Order: sequence, then structure tokens, then C-alpha cells
Amino acid sequence: MKFEQWNGFKEGAWQEQIAVRDFINLNYTPYDGDKSFLAGPTERTKKVMDKVNKLLKKELDKGGVLDVDTKRVSGLLAYDAGYIDKNLDIIVGFQTDEPLKRGVNPFGGIRMARQACEAYGYKLSDEIEENFKYSTTHNDGVFSVYTDEMRAARKVGILTGLPDAYGRGRIIGDYRRVALYGVDYLIEQKKADKVKYGKNDMSEENIKCLEELHQQIKALEELKGMAQKYGFDISQPANTAKEAIQWLYFGYLAAIKEQNGAAMSLGRTSTFLDIYIQRDLERGILTEEQAQELMDDFVIKLRLSRQLRTPEYNDLFGGDPTWTTESVGGMSDDGRTLVTKNSFRMLNTLYTLGSAPEPNLTILWSDNLPDNFKKFCAQVSIDTDSIQYENDDLMRPMYGDDYAIACCVSAMQVGKQMQFFGARCNLAKLLLLTLNGGKDENYGMQVAPEGKQFKGKLNYDEVMQAFDKYCAWMSRLYINTLNVIHRMHDKYAYEKIQMALHDTQVTRFMACGVAGLSVIADSLSAIKYAEVTPIYGESGLIEDFDIKGDFPKYGNDDDRVDAIAVDVLTRFSNELKKTPTYRDSIHTLSALTITSNVVYGKKTGSTPDGRKKGEPFAPGANPMHNRETCGALASLNSVSKLPYNCCQDGISNTFSILPNALGENMDKRVSNLSDMLNGYFENGGHHLNVNVLDRAKLVAAMENPEMYPNITIRVSGYAVNFHKLSKPQQLEVLKRTYHGEM
Amino acid sequence: MEKCKARIDSVYNGSAVDGKGLRCVVFFTGCNMRCGFCHNPETWTEKGIDVTLPDLVAKIKRYKSYIKNGGVTLSGGEPFLQAEFCKELIKALHEENISVIIETNGLICDKELIELSDGVRLDIKNQEREINSKVFEFLDFCQDKDKFVTMTNVLVPTLNDTQEKLQELKRVKEKYPCIKEVKFLAFRKLCESKYDRLNKPFPYEKYREGNNADLQRAYSILGIC
Repeated sequence: MKFEQWNGFKEGAWQEQIAVRDFINLNYTPYDGDKSFLAGPTERTKKVMDKVNKLLKKELDKGGVLDVDTKRVSGLLAYDAGYIDKNLDIIVGFQTDEPLKRGVNPFGGIRMARQACEAYGYKLSDEIEENFKYSTTHNDGVFSVYTDEMRAARKVGILTGLPDAYGRGRIIGDYRRVALYGVDYLIEQKKADKVKYGKNDMSEENIKCLEELHQQIKALEELKGMAQKYGFDISQPANTAKEAIQWLYFGYLAAIKEQNGAAMSLGRTSTFLDIYIQRDLERGILTEEQAQELMDDFVIKLRLSRQLRTPEYNDLFGGDPTWTTESVGGMSDDGRTLVTKNSFRMLNTLYTLGSAPEPNLTILWSDNLPDNFKKFCAQVSIDTDSIQYENDDLMRPMYGDDYAIACCVSAMQVGKQMQFFGARCNLAKLLLLTLNGGKDENYGMQVAPEGKQFKGKLNYDEVMQAFDKYCAWMSRLYINTLNVIHRMHDKYAYEKIQMALHDTQVTRFMACGVAGLSVIADSLSAIKYAEVTPIYGESGLIEDFDIKGDFPKYGNDDDRVDAIAVDVLTRFSNELKKTPTYRDSIHTLSALTITSNVVYGKKTGSTPDGRKKGEPFAPGANPMHNRETCGALASLNSVSKLPYNCCQDGISNTFSILPNALGENMDKRVSNLSDMLNGYFENGGHHLNVNVLDRAKLVAAMENPEMYPNITIRVSGYAVNFHKLSKPQQLEVLKRTYHGEM
Repeated sequence: MEKCKARIDSVYNGSAVDGKGLRCVVFFTGCNMRCGFCHNPETWTEKGIDVTLPDLVAKIKRYKSYIKNGGVTLSGGEPFLQAEFCKELIKALHEENISVIIETNGLICDKELIELSDGVRLDIKNQEREINSKVFEFLDFCQDKDKFVTMTNVLVPTLNDTQEKLQELKRVKEKYPCIKEVKFLAFRKLCESKYDRLNKPFPYEKYREGNNADLQRAYSILGIC
């Protein structure tokens, strides 16, 4: 098969079937030069950004939501075209008919949609309320099946953040397919699959597949209709760089119109797009300024993506993030770097448009990345605090060279793998549950089967023996709960367009998670190396702990406690694998909290490590605040010991260092940060958020927000505008360890 | 002096301000001076933890991947007080291709140790008195062996930021071409809480903290931009 839009591309297997990776591999141009070729923003871009900044200011002044369309249910064809300025926009398309106006998406749950409207002073229209009286939402489905035990685990907060009332997200459509093949070809392929699956025995799974294929084909038709509203025919492949970006963006736009998943990630698009840009540059129909301008306008659109959320949701996922994660860089299986000039252009948007939390730019770091690119990344980190790093040398052997990160740290092959997002289990609470014989320490409820209560000085082996039992109970309940959630999500809120941009036969992950890893590691270390005695309150439950003596603390490269952290993760991972999953998905695990470490802390009683009731946990796999005393590298070494092979959904580490502690001038800071990243990843670390900033600056920003309107910081797998965090979240960020402080 | 045992306060992993690149810094305890601006008064006495050579080498090796462009800095306290151990440590680290520099006040001119090191950070203590003549003996040897020397000096306002004191440093620098780098450090009071914890008075409480302008002035007097 051949399209004239493909002229100039190297031929290959990608022309006979959907094979974007093959297309990239044959056609991209690696770049190992420096940033000197980059262009700045054009006058047009500056004009547009001026308008955008005014809109963002209005949004913030209105309490975080500029406008809500309460009359329509969000969908691909629900709204007319929207623009910032029709004469200035180069890449077009918004979720509704106006920038920053949020659509309503009740498929996850009508209650959540209603509450979200009300929280910002709007009222869901009677028409939508009426319509959804007669339809089952994902939320309805889940709660019709939830057992008492599941409800209890959810209520006390041992399982929190479960996607049972909103879209699960964390699925990346291969939006590049829209540009490379055009929608008609994609429809053809799905129709062929439908014929193929029609010949199978009609098992429940096969029937489900056929129904999903039907929905996917319909969604692809709607995608064409959506583009037509903007005056584009995307049935055929893209012919130019501008078209490629536009086609690809339409694919993504359709996804965020259809779904309100927490993380709606973009994938790995810059090097793909570089091929089109390079072809246009060579044809003499594009200049470097224009290439940057195209990427700038694309990124402006990505930055304005919004979903309607409730305030409670913002407690878990602070700062209104969308996780429009774009993975940049990495290496090819054949040893060439996947860094192209467009990797630089993508990062350059943080300068041309100013720093911003979205898209969530994620560098796939390899020891073999070109030195110039490493330096540029380090420079961008120091200047903007807006990017994160993940270990390509660790992931590539597992996922090949065309994977991307969904959300913060979840790797998956683009268009071939997807995941069932499973939020997380509170391990610190699980330990307290163990010590309280299955009762929740705050509610006093018998959540888990009754066990022995621990009196007197705690014995490590006895505690671990009991912990094992509760670990087994929790793991089974956790997987079963997720099975219910994802069965219902598939049934009532299936991701039609995103799955249409996947192979029909996909690999699925059941992505579990843990919170409070450093709290449980330090707690068990205290029990093992110090003397810990529970103090009982009047209710007969443990209220606090008497801790005598010192104990090793996670974050100091001390194997005595780091091994405990590894052991807990391994035990939990092994237990999870004992319960079968929905659709035979592969059990995975992450150590990631987003900003929920604050809420988890709030819901958890005092712990044996000396943390008091209600105090925040450290985020992700981070050591507890200010318990790291042996230096930044010791802290990194502790985290890098956590085994990725049993924590394959990611191990998140957020790292803050003072500019002066990183070196005395910019050149030294850049090379030291680059060395730090090289070392961490060489030692097997998976993920690192890097903040190079002063606590003093954040304090000043809290006191005088107007002086620092665009202060961006990395929190836990994503970046936020500091002002969009809640007060408790801001205070928790201030409490963290800033390496280099005396 | 022990060859394979030392007393240290701690190891700090990941300093970017104690020499080139990222470094692990070993703080030895015991000092032959009592400077009033000292940032590490906890290292004055020999109280500390005992470490053996193999343990310390193993500990540092865990950071090899980070410190390829940096290395290890022996600091304190005064590391030259435990010179025999330092020599063995440097030899062992060299076998691992790890570069080692020593921070010192220059009062103990252990030639073998200086030779073994990959560089010296010599802190000139001229705040209250003249530069000790032993320091010149130390520098003579460094010059002789063409050791890379970084001359550091804590600038305490009114004490040693005067024209005369700085002119003298300039003469020292000119006399010894092995001094390839000069770093002035602003006097800071961040260490006050350490003195509180040790129940010791902070001798330099009465001086104001140094600032960037002080540093710039000092550099310009020495003719360094």
C-alpha cells in the first residue's frame, strides 16, 4: 500500500501494517549536536501567549475554573470549533468551544460530575440529570458489586484514590497513527480485525472484543467528524509537518473529550514528528523558526487541556494536573540515540512559552544519550524545575524502544500495551492494622479478620509474621476490588477512541501501588533496632508508640533498613500475584503517591517510626522528610536499591537541592546534575523529579503570590504551579529535605 | 598512628562545593587548631566513630557511579593528624580510579601524603594572626612537586578582609604558581546551632556575616575576576 503523502520516506514493513515504531526507526535523524540551532518565539507566538496568559490569570482569579458547559455531555462531536484567535492559531482544537471552558463527563459517575459543577458555582443541567437517570455509570456499576469488605477498606482509607467514580486514565492512544496512516486506513484495519474475531468461538472475552471493535470503529468515524468541524479532512495521512502535528493532536483531543481519566498522557511524539519536520526543512517549505512555532502552538494547546474535578479529587491529585506526559529521548534498540532536533524543540517550549507544569516532559535517560542533550536537559531542570527523568536503560530491555510513560512513572509500549490503573494501598496503615489485630486505628472498625493485639515491647519477628497474614488478606482484597472496578469501567466507560488507536490484541497490566513505603520501612527498623512499645488509648486501640533508642533510617544508604524496604515491596508484590486478575492482566506495582501522601498521612495514626498521627507521608518512594543525613547521594542510593522488577509500574523519587549546593556557577551545576543523573540511573534508580530551588523562594511565593505567578515545581511524578496546591500540600513541600541546607 | 583504623565524624555523600565535580567528603575528627569561625566544631576532639580502611573504602565505592568527574575530599578536623591512614586510604581509592584531594590548614607537612594526593585545598588561617611559617614550608613542597593547590580563605569582616591581609595573600599566590585556584568563602553563622548543641560559645558571634560584595572585593584585590 502506498500513499503519496509518504513520498520521501524510506519504505518498509510499516507500509503493509500499522507499525509506527518501524516507520520511526527507518526514517528518523538522530541529533547529537547542541542547542545552538534553536529558534526563539515568533511575534505571532508572543501575541498568542499574551492572550493565553490573560486567560490563565482569569482562570486563577475565578478560583481555578474559568467556565463550565453544563448543558452538554462531553464527546467528540458535542461542541463547535473553539479557538484562542482563529486568525492566529496554527494548530487548532479545544475540548469545548472555548479555551479553558470545561466540559462535563458523567460516564464515570453522575454524582462526581454534579458535585464538581456545584463546587465552582454551577449547576448541572436538568437535561443531563434526566438523561443519566436512565443510564448506568461506571460508578453505579462498581457500587452495585462492591462487598462490605471492599467498602470498609475504602472508607478507612487503606485503599484510596481508586478510580471508581471517574475515568481511570493511564491509557495512551497511539495518536501518531492518525498522522501516519489517516483515519480511513485505521478503520479498514479494525474492520478486518472484526472479521477475524468473528470467526472465533464466541466466548465471553471474544464477544467483548467484538463489541469493543464496533465501538472503536464508531469512535474513529466520529474522530473524522470532529476534525471536519475545524475544516480538516483527516481520512488520509498527513502530508506536511503542520498536518502531522494537527492530525496527531486531533487524536489526542478526541481522547480528552471522550475521557476524563486522571492521567491522559500523550506518549512519545517528538521524534516521530521530527521526521515530518525534517522532510519539510529539506523540501525548503519550512524554516527552523516555523518548526519551533508549530511545536509552540501544539504545546500551547496541550497546556490548555482541562478536566472538571471535585475539590476532594484535588486533595489526592493537587494542582489540577492532566499528566499530558510526553516522553523525550531514550535510545534505539540498534544503539542509535532517539534524540532528534525536535527533542530539543520540545524542551525549548519551556523557554519560548515560559515554564509550565504541562505537558509533563519526561526525559528517558540513558548513559549513552548524547552529551549535548544531557547538558541541555540539566540546564532546563535548573532553569525551570519542570522536567522529570526516567531510566531508559532499565525500561528498554523490558518494553523495547517505543514505549512511553503514562501519568508519572508507568511505562507501556505505545499502542500495544495498556494498564488498569489501581491507585494504591496504604502500607503504613496496613502495619497499624496488623498491630491492632485487624482493626482500623481511627475508626475502630474490624476491617480485616481478627488477629492478636500486640502488647508490650514489639518483637520484630512476631510483627512480621502477623504482617504477612494481613498482607495476604490485603493483597487479595485489593486485586479483587480492582477487578470489579475495571470490569465496570470497560462496561460503562470504555475508552473507545484510545483503544481504537491500539492494536486489537493488547497486553494489559493491573497496576497496583503502595503509599507510605518509607514510613513502614522506618517503623519496622525501629521495631527491629530500637525498643518500641505501643501505647493504648481508652478505645483499646494503639494511640502512639514509646520509642527508646536510635534506629537506622531509610535514605542514608544503610542496608539494615533499606533491605527492609526492599523486603516489604517484594512481599507485597508476591502476594498480589496470587490472586487472578481481570482479563488476565499482568500484576504490576508502583511506589508513587502523587500528592496523596498528605491525605494518606491525615488518615493514618501515629506510627512506630515516631511520625505522629495525621502527619504527611513522604511522597512516592522518598525517604521521610529530613531523616536523610548522609548527603544527597546516600539518599539516592537508598531509593535506587528498590527493585524495579517487582515494582515495574514505577518507583517515584522527588529530589530537591539548593542551587548553591549543586555548584558555584551554572556550568558546574549543569555538569554536576548530569553526573548525578548518570550515577543514579547507573545504580538502577528508576525515576527522578528534580527541583533546583531554594525553600526561601517558595516561602516568599506563599507570602507574595503575585511576585511569583509562574513558579513551577516537581511534586511526585508531575509538575505543578505552586499556587495551585492546597495550603497543606504547600506546607508539605516546604517540609521536605532540600539537600545542601545546613 | 594507625594505618588501617581512623576516627571520623561522618561521610557526606554528594558535595558539589568541596572541589571539582560531585564528591564524597570524609570528615576526620581531631584538629590542631580552634578557629573562631569553624563550621565543624564537632570535629575538634577525637570523639567520633572508628572506621576500618576496608569498610570506608567499601562505603565510598558505592558512589563510584556519581563521582567519576569528581572524587573524594578528605576533610575534618585536620586529616593530616591521621596521615598514615589517609595514605592507605588514598592508595586504596586510587586502585578504584577514584581521585582524592585533601583539605588542610597546612600546619603538618607530611610530604608523602601530599605527594599521594591529587590536589590540596589549603585553607589559610590569617584571621587573628600572621600566616604560620609552617604553611610556607607546606607550600614550598607543593610547589616543588607541582601539586594542584586551591587556596581557600574564610573572609571575616574587619578581621582579614583588610587591604594588608589581602595584599599578603596576593603575594603568596604570586610566589607559588602551584596555587591554581583561589576561593574566598564568606563567613557565615549557620553553624551557631552546632555550638549550642556542644555547649560551647560561638567565638565569632560578634562579627557580621560576609556577603557577595565582600567576596567580589577580595577577588578583585587579588586580581581575579
